[in-house]
Amino acid sequence: MNSKMTSASPTNAKATRQIVKALGEEPAFKAGDRVRISVRYPVGHYRVPIYMRGKRGTVEKILKPAAINNEEEGFGRNAGSKGFYYRVAVPLTELWPGYAGPPQDRLVIEVFETWLERI
Amino acid sequence: MATHDHDHEHPKSADEPAPGYYEIMETALRELLIDKKLIGPGEIRRQIEVLDSRTPALGAKVVARAWVDPEFRARLLANGRAVCESDFGISFYDDTQLIVLENTEKIHNVIVCTLCSCYPRPVLGLPPDWYKAKEYRARAVKEPRAVLSEFGTDIPEDVEVRISDSTAMVRYLVLPQRPAGTGNSTEEQLAALVTRDAMIGVVKVNLENRNTL
Amino acid sequence: MNQTEALVKRLPNDIGGLPADRIQQTDHQLLPWEKRCHALADVLDFHKIINTEEKRRGVEQLGGEMVGKLTYYERWIVVFAFILFEKGILTPDELAQKMKQVEARNNGQAIT
Repeated sequence: MNSKMTSASPTNAKATRQIVKALGEEPAFKAGDRVRISVRYPVGHYRVPIYMRGKRGTVEKILKPAAINNEEEGFGRNAGSKGFYYRVAVPLTELWPGYAGPPQDRLVIEVFETWLERI
Repeated sequence: MATHDHDHEHPKSADEPAPGYYEIMETALRELLIDKKLIGPGEIRRQIEVLDSRTPALGAKVVARAWVDPEFRARLLANGRAVCESDFGISFYDDTQLIVLENTEKIHNVIVCTLCSCYPRPVLGLPPDWYKAKEYRARAVKEPRAVLSEFGTDIPEDVEVRISDSTAMVRYLVLPQRPAGTGNSTEEQLAALVTRDAMIGVVKVNLENRNTL
Repeated sequence: MNQTEALVKRLPNDIGGLPADRIQQTDHQLLPWEKRCHALADVLDFHKIINTEEKRRGVEQLGGEMVGKLTYYERWIVVFAFILFEKGILTPDELAQKMKQVEARNNGQAIT
């Protein structure tokens, strides 16, 4: 007996539901998520400017594919242990108390996942 | 002692200043790396040719095409690097990606790299000194409108100024608004209007600021 | 807070938002050695002998005085030396000897 395997067949659907992704394959955040940039002070190389620490913003875009943490890349990691960077939008009024420009002005910056907290 | 293929050596004329400390260091490092076969003898020369071939004229062509061809524009905004490569042969010789930021009636984009000097070199060439200097990097993220004013650009209060600070592997190219009165221009004429500074976002494209290059 | 902590916590290149003067809209044509230096950076990154992020980190490690006083490409070439030493690719003495040879060659002197 020949059963045709179409994409709608029950057996295929079950197989698709059973796919398990590896840790880190699925981005933790999605566009629209509210996030806060962590507050910590690495010794040496970092790529999150101090003006961003503790600021709250919105994830605008997931940058794909996953890539190396550039804070580790700075010490010679050229492969492995990849994660996601996100473009995060932050109002300038959030960054600078007393910002003189209109409230809709924004900054957008790439932040690696290890620096983002969900709020 | 073996002779070396001294990459890019040229006879010094009487007027040229003697190489200084850092130039001597550069020459020494390059020769040592070639001696140790860590880099090939022609690689530096070749990469100089690559760098010399990348100028704002490339970016200007991309912008002009986006102005006249909505389908190209849509593809460009979806994947800047891939479309620059496929449609114009602008190869990205490093590991960077490109996001093209579209200026509209409501949003004016500006790019900066506060931490260093990230810049879309494959499509614009090397950045100007002011882009890499402290004043621009410190102030563009804090008072972008004041910075734009110094370049003669005033953005209305109801338009959002959106400043992108590069920190990772993505590079940005601003797609400026097409100026009024260019409805009959050819793509080539349009490209001649687009300056490097317009693709950084510190100026708009207008009919008075033609490229003289 | 210990006042020196700020020197460790804020890298010399992390200047976003700090007070600064009017922008000087200057530019210069790269000197030949600067262009060779830029090309060298690209070639080193391509081979992952020194990747671009390592170069950035190296410049940060030069510290505020050197970052402030050396020009853009002067910083790069010094950083390349440091990182090549760190990786055991070159020794300081090898570089010093070669620099002496290059200088002698430039002066038209016999190489000793």
